[in-house]
Amino acid sequence: MIRKHVLAALALIAVSTGSSTAQNTTLDLVEPITEYKIYVTEKLDRLVADTKTFTDAVKAGDVTKAKALFAPTRMSYEAVEPIAELFSDLDASIDSRADDHEKAEADPDFTGFHRIEHGLWVKNSTADLAPFADKLMSDVTELRKRITALTLPPDKVVGGAAVLMEEVAATKISGEEDRYSHTDLWDFRANFDGSYKIVELVRPLIAKKEAAFLAKVDANFSKVSNTLDKYKQGAGYVSYEKLTEDDRKVLAVAVNTLAEDLSTLRAKLGLD
Amino acid sequence: MTNPTGTPPGRAPSRTMRLAVAGSAALAAVAGALFYYASQTAPKSVHGTVHKVTVRDRACEPNEITVPAGRTVFEIHNASNRPLEWEILDGVMVVEERENITPGLRSTLSARLKPGHYEITCGLLSNPRGTLTVTASAESEAERRKPPVKAFIGPLSEYRFHLVMQSSTLTKSVARLAEAIRAGDLDAARRAYVAARLPYRRLDMVTSRFSDLENAIDPVADYLAERENDPAFTGFHRIEYGLFAKTTLDGLAPVAEKLLAGVEALNTRIRALRLAPEDLGASVERQARFLADGPIRKGENHYAGSDVAELAASLDGMEKAVELLMPLLEGAAPDVVKTIGRARADAHAAIDGLKQGQDYPRYDRVDDAARRKLATAFAAFADAVGKLNASLGLEQP
Repeated sequence: MIRKHVLAALALIAVSTGSSTAQNTTLDLVEPITEYKIYVTEKLDRLVADTKTFTDAVKAGDVTKAKALFAPTRMSYEAVEPIAELFSDLDASIDSRADDHEKAEADPDFTGFHRIEHGLWVKNSTADLAPFADKLMSDVTELRKRITALTLPPDKVVGGAAVLMEEVAATKISGEEDRYSHTDLWDFRANFDGSYKIVELVRPLIAKKEAAFLAKVDANFSKVSNTLDKYKQGAGYVSYEKLTEDDRKVLAVAVNTLAEDLSTLRAKLGLD
Repeated sequence: MTNPTGTPPGRAPSRTMRLAVAGSAALAAVAGALFYYASQTAPKSVHGTVHKVTVRDRACEPNEITVPAGRTVFEIHNASNRPLEWEILDGVMVVEERENITPGLRSTLSARLKPGHYEITCGLLSNPRGTLTVTASAESEAERRKPPVKAFIGPLSEYRFHLVMQSSTLTKSVARLAEAIRAGDLDAARRAYVAARLPYRRLDMVTSRFSDLENAIDPVADYLAERENDPAFTGFHRIEYGLFAKTTLDGLAPVAEKLLAGVEALNTRIRALRLAPEDLGASVERQARFLADGPIRKGENHYAGSDVAELAASLDGMEKAVELLMPLLEGAAPDVVKTIGRARADAHAAIDGLKQGQDYPRYDRVDDAARRKLATAFAAFADAVGKLNASLGLEQP
C-alpha cells in the first residue's frame, strides 16, 4: 500500500516540478493545503455517518454490534486529529480520557468515545450509555460544522505530520488510548495514514531539495507500515495485547524517529 | 487530547489492565526518554526568552503571563502527579499545545504568538485557567499593517477549497439535468436547470478567466448574430430556451451532454488554478462591476427569469473571497472592513427587497427602477472591495 503511494507521489513530482516554478514558493503550499481540506472533509463526512451507525447500535442495546463499530468509527477522527483537536471544548467532550477528569470514570464530564468504550468493554453493557451516544453524535456533527467553516492554519496542517507520530508514540504504542477495548492498533493505523497523507501532499514541494530527508522518512514509514500489517485481521487489527515486545520496540524506534524528523517539516516549508 | 498511561485514581484496575499498564508504562518511559533526549539535543531557540511555567495539581505558576508578540519559548514543568497537556487557547481554539508531559518532567514549547489575550490550561479540565497576554511588538505592528505573503496561504487555500466544492456540486447538478432530459421529464429538468445555475454562478469570479469554456457553457443569445438560431447558441441558456420558452425537450439531450463535458473541463481548470493574494480582491471588484454595468440591467435568463436567485448566488461567491481576507483586513484597515460590510449589507438588502413572500420574482417583473437600484448596490460593493488590495499592501494585478 505504501509502495503504491510512493509511486503515485513520484508520478506527481514528475508532473509538478515542471510547472511549479512560480516566483513565490511560499504560495506553493496553497495546493497541498486545499487538498488536505478536501481530505479532512471526506474524513469528517465519514465520521458523522459512522458515528450515527455506531451510536444507533449503542442506543439499540446491541453490545456486539457497538463493539464491532467502535474502532472503525474512530479511524476517521484519528486520521485528522491535528485538525479535529483544534477545538478544545469538543476535543475534551469527544476524546478525553478518564485521567483528564477529577473523578476519572465516575466524572459526569467524562463523555465521548472513551466513556462509551468503558461501558461496552468494562461493563459489557449499553446500560446508561444512550445520553453519551446522543452527545457524541451531536459533538461530531458540531465538529464537522466548525471545521467546514475553518480556514485551516497552514502550520497546523504541516505540523500535523509530526503531531500524529507523537500521538502514536505517546498513546498507541503504550496502549493508553483505547485501554478498555485494546483497539489501539486501529487508531495507530489511522494516525499513520493521516501523517503519511500530509507528507504525500507536501512532497512535491521539497522532493528536490530534501531527497535524503524524504528517503529516510519513507524508510521509517515503510518499517512501521510493514510491522503493523503483521497484525491485520479482517478489515482491522488484532488486540493491542497481541503486539510482541520485539515489534513494539521496532515501532517505538521508527515512530519516534519519524516524529522527530517530521517536526522539521514546518521549517523546511518556510512556516516557522 | 492525549495522556500517557496512568491508572485511574481511586480504583483498582483489573489484572490484565495492570499488566498492560505496567508494560506500556515501561514503553512510555522509553518513548518519554527518547523525546527528552530529542528535546535536549535539539538546537536551542536563538530568539525569544524562555518563560517558565510550573503546573501543580490545581493551578499554573505563574497564573498570569505577559509576553511580547513574536517567538516565545515556554518551559513547562509538570509538578502535578498526572500526565499533563498544556494548551494556549484563543476562545475554544487551541493556538499551541504540548501534550503528554510526564509527571516530574519539563517540556518546551516554542510559539509565534500574535498580540491578544489568551488563556492557558493548567492540568485537569476542571482546574481554573491562567491568562496569557501578548503585547504588540515593532515586528507584529509591521505585519499587522502589511501582512507577509505566508499570511495569505490559509485564505487562498480555503478559497480554492470553496471553488473545488462548488465545481464538484456543479458537475453533479448538471449530470442530474442531463439525466432528467434523457428521461424525458420536463418538470424535473426545469428544476434541475434552476438548481444547477446556482453553483455555476457562485464560481462567477473565476469562470470569467476561461473565456473559451464560458463561451461553450454560458453564451447569451443577445450577443450572438442569429440570436436563438445561431449555431453558437449552446450550453445552459440553450437548454433554458428549450425548457422554458419552447417547453420541449426536443434536441436538448446532445446539448446537455456537451454542457456536462464543459463543466467537467471547467472543474479540471479550477483544480489547476493558481491564485495570487491580489487576485481575490481584484476578481471580486471586476465581477461586481461587470454585473452592475450589464447583466443586472439586461437580465441573462430571459426564458426562466431566474436572475435574482442567480445574483444572490453570485454575491455569495464573491463574499466568500472577501470574508476570507477579513481577519487580515481587521488588523490592517478596520475602517475598510466597515465600508465593505456596509456595501455587502446594502447589496443583500437590494436583493431581499425584491422578494415577494418567500420567493424572488421573475426578472421580467423587476422594473427598470428596481434594476437600477440593484446595479447601484453592486457598483458600490465593487467600489468598497476596490479598496481591499491597497489596504493590505497588495498591488492591483
